[in-house]
Amino acid sequence: MSIMTDPKLGLMDGPVHDRLERLSCSRRWYDWAGYAAPATLETLENEYFALRNQAALLDISPMKKYRITGPASEAMLNRLVTRDVRKIAVGRVSYVVWCDEEGMLIDDGTLFRLAQDEWLLCCQEPMLTWLCDAVWGFDARIEDDSDRLAGLALQGPTSFALLEAAGLDVATLRPFDCARIAPDLLVSRTGFTGDLGYELWTDWPEAAALWDRLWDAGWDLGLRGIGYDAVNIARIEAGFITAGVDFQPVHATERLHRGRTPFELGLSRLVDFDKGHFNGRRALWKVRNSPRSLLLRVDVEGFKPAQDALVYHGRRREVGHITSGVWSPTAKRNIALAHVETPWAITGKTNLFADIYVLEEGQWNRRMARLTPQTGAFFKPPRARLTPPARH
Amino acid sequence: MSNFDAIVIGGGINGLVAATVLARRGKSVCLFEQNDTLGGMAGLSDGPGTPALAHLVYNISPKVALEIGSDIDAWPFSAPALPTVALAESGRHVIVRDGRATFADGTPHPDADAFQALNERIARYGDILRAIAEAPPPGMPKHAGYGAALRAVRRLGRMGMGLRAMGKAETRRFMQVLLSNVYDFALDDLDEGPLAGLLAADAVRGAAAGPRSPGTVFNLIYRMGHGGHVRVPEGGVGAVLTHFATAARDAGCRMQTARAVARILTTDDCVTGVEIADGEIAHAPLVLASPGAGTTLSLTGTDHFDIETARRVRKIRARGTAAKINFELSRPFAPENALGPPGPARYVVAPSAAYVERAFNPSKYGAMSENPVIEAVPQSVSGGRDWLSCIVQYAPSDLAQGWTDAARARLLRHTTDTLTAVVPGFSEQVTGSQITTPDQIEARTGAPGGHWHQAEMSLDQVLSVRPANMIGHYAFGPKGLFLCGASTHPGGDIMGLSGCNAALCALGDPA
Repeated sequence: MSIMTDPKLGLMDGPVHDRLERLSCSRRWYDWAGYAAPATLETLENEYFALRNQAALLDISPMKKYRITGPASEAMLNRLVTRDVRKIAVGRVSYVVWCDEEGMLIDDGTLFRLAQDEWLLCCQEPMLTWLCDAVWGFDARIEDDSDRLAGLALQGPTSFALLEAAGLDVATLRPFDCARIAPDLLVSRTGFTGDLGYELWTDWPEAAALWDRLWDAGWDLGLRGIGYDAVNIARIEAGFITAGVDFQPVHATERLHRGRTPFELGLSRLVDFDKGHFNGRRALWKVRNSPRSLLLRVDVEGFKPAQDALVYHGRRREVGHITSGVWSPTAKRNIALAHVETPWAITGKTNLFADIYVLEEGQWNRRMARLTPQTGAFFKPPRARLTPPARH
Repeated sequence: MSNFDAIVIGGGINGLVAATVLARRGKSVCLFEQNDTLGGMAGLSDGPGTPALAHLVYNISPKVALEIGSDIDAWPFSAPALPTVALAESGRHVIVRDGRATFADGTPHPDADAFQALNERIARYGDILRAIAEAPPPGMPKHAGYGAALRAVRRLGRMGMGLRAMGKAETRRFMQVLLSNVYDFALDDLDEGPLAGLLAADAVRGAAAGPRSPGTVFNLIYRMGHGGHVRVPEGGVGAVLTHFATAARDAGCRMQTARAVARILTTDDCVTGVEIADGEIAHAPLVLASPGAGTTLSLTGTDHFDIETARRVRKIRARGTAAKINFELSRPFAPENALGPPGPARYVVAPSAAYVERAFNPSKYGAMSENPVIEAVPQSVSGGRDWLSCIVQYAPSDLAQGWTDAARARLLRHTTDTLTAVVPGFSEQVTGSQITTPDQIEARTGAPGGHWHQAEMSLDQVLSVRPANMIGHYAFGPKGLFLCGASTHPGGDIMGLSGCNAALCALGDPA
């Protein structure tokens, strides 16, 4: 379900566009769900290091947001996603994925339980038609809040101190908690960076004032506005996957067999076979022990980013490809996520190579870089989990 | 209540056949029917000799007769084929007896040879398609086993051989007409008139389609699968259903009438039984449901099905277009010049193929036909009055103003007027009437849209995509739940094959 945007319409302004425009030296705008979003505002390096060492502010309003309400909202969501949503307490957020009837991932996102019968689902892909299908037969309601609810991601070690300075008390928020801090302000301790950070949700017209409030509070805490490129490095370091990059949302694919199961994406822990039926359960049960490929976190030899490189077993047999690859400035390692076919992803892990093409001043060179599979995130600082968080 | 090996929901023909097949293979079976009587749509009666709905039998499959332990050549299946009278306003009615058409006054019909050749061709095509039409649909899931796969391949092979045996020219013609519309098919070889109208009417009976709708030749071939002979067995259609009910009882099925199933129960994605409306629970690891897929889904709970399945079930097209009218007459129905010696016959009001198409047009926009297509079968009740049982088309289930008493009266008037136009004086013979419109059919039988096939028999809803894609092999959602009604392959008319195939699949032995 990709969106066709009429090129004549151009890109829309997000809720804090004039703030971003003022900060944008690099003027690198890209199309995020029809909105003009910054890839960078200034330089990637400055933004990335602000994100890891200070605090960074990113407008995430183009995310899709759906509000699900009604007495059967829990049952409806439990049929939709692979996790047991009954275990999500009010005031908690959960990372969830949902699959089609063949068990192939449609999208991933965060599910907020705002009240017993009120939920918020945030994701990357447009999902309204699917949710309307999913709600049929249940006493529940779907509202598309995508263009009504704005989101600002405040991420980085000083983000807690910054919120405190802005007069927002989030000291008791544990990771994946959410709370209504003010009548029109929802804050969740979530993010796409694997670090200490918060996401702040407010009505679209209120977003600019919220931006200013944070901006004014953060002048001595190193706050910087950032674009997506810096977040992309951070999310690969955290081992997070992106729709359309590390997996193809199955509803957006046209070719057969481009979908991936949660097992193939390393998300087995999100699939709860004991909770009763959910979409794709019967298909997933059949393939639970036979993934066609696995998404591996790999350490790449050398320092050349391995993005899009083909993966070989024993330097000869092509067995997969790199979906995301960057040099990690924090881990000081060359890291990547790689789709590798089975059985090589299981039995041949010690003999994998990425075939990296590098263009060096007009000359193409090839490097067969050895891949070393890792378990766990490349970067997982303890500060991300500490409650109350440190101020740094 | 108690434990069974299998529970069947619905005591229509498919439910009865499914229960019998299971019981004859040693299963303990309990059948629940919401109405007071068994027989479903075909068995309902509004009094002696007046079938509430179905009034003719065709397409009873020898396979079904065998499976329920009956003889296809004996009662009630062996009744003589009825002649058909195609009524014309001019009074030049056409009688078709054993595929041979003559005018009612005995003079030869100019299109008699062409009509016979056409019928023979349809029968030949029917022969080729029958193997596929009667078995479970092609592409059974892997767990059905190698035996089933082998048999499926053999059936396809036989169809291929059948096509080869027809010769190149005839095969080409078969492929040409298979997906085509009956209007062009009939008028290629026949002059416009009652014979073309008869073919057109037979192709679209019960369907939300007109003769110019694509795929209607396929429907005609399907209906003619067993020669196209229509019969009224001694005792009427109701007696056939009584025979099926007796067969089920003889096989050892427990029959529970006037007991509606309120819920289908599951545990861990497996069926465990049903809950009756009064709260009683019956346990079984197999549940075969003959109501439509939508009803079965609701009985089980939407959350036990995938989102795609719920969507497909929701989109199944089941728009009933046929109403049933029984006329009470002051004297036996006998159109002037219609038949030489008096005797049972089927009368069809469809004076031309274009007439059928024009009758269809209003139904597309939620209106009833002012000049409907009518299939009428006189019912003689010993010692009682004479009745004329009529299937009247088109009376769409989604009538724009809804089926009010006024709308029913209007349909009754249109039907009487139409019959009077071809049978002068008919309206004066009418002393009473009963009318059942699609909304009432739905209420009485649970058939979605009051559609007697429970799902339109169109090319996108036949074979392995009947009633919808991915649920075309009887199994439906949780383990142990099967659809066995007319909404599954091969579908409606009084055949019982859906029930038979579903039972065999449930037993893990698709034939």
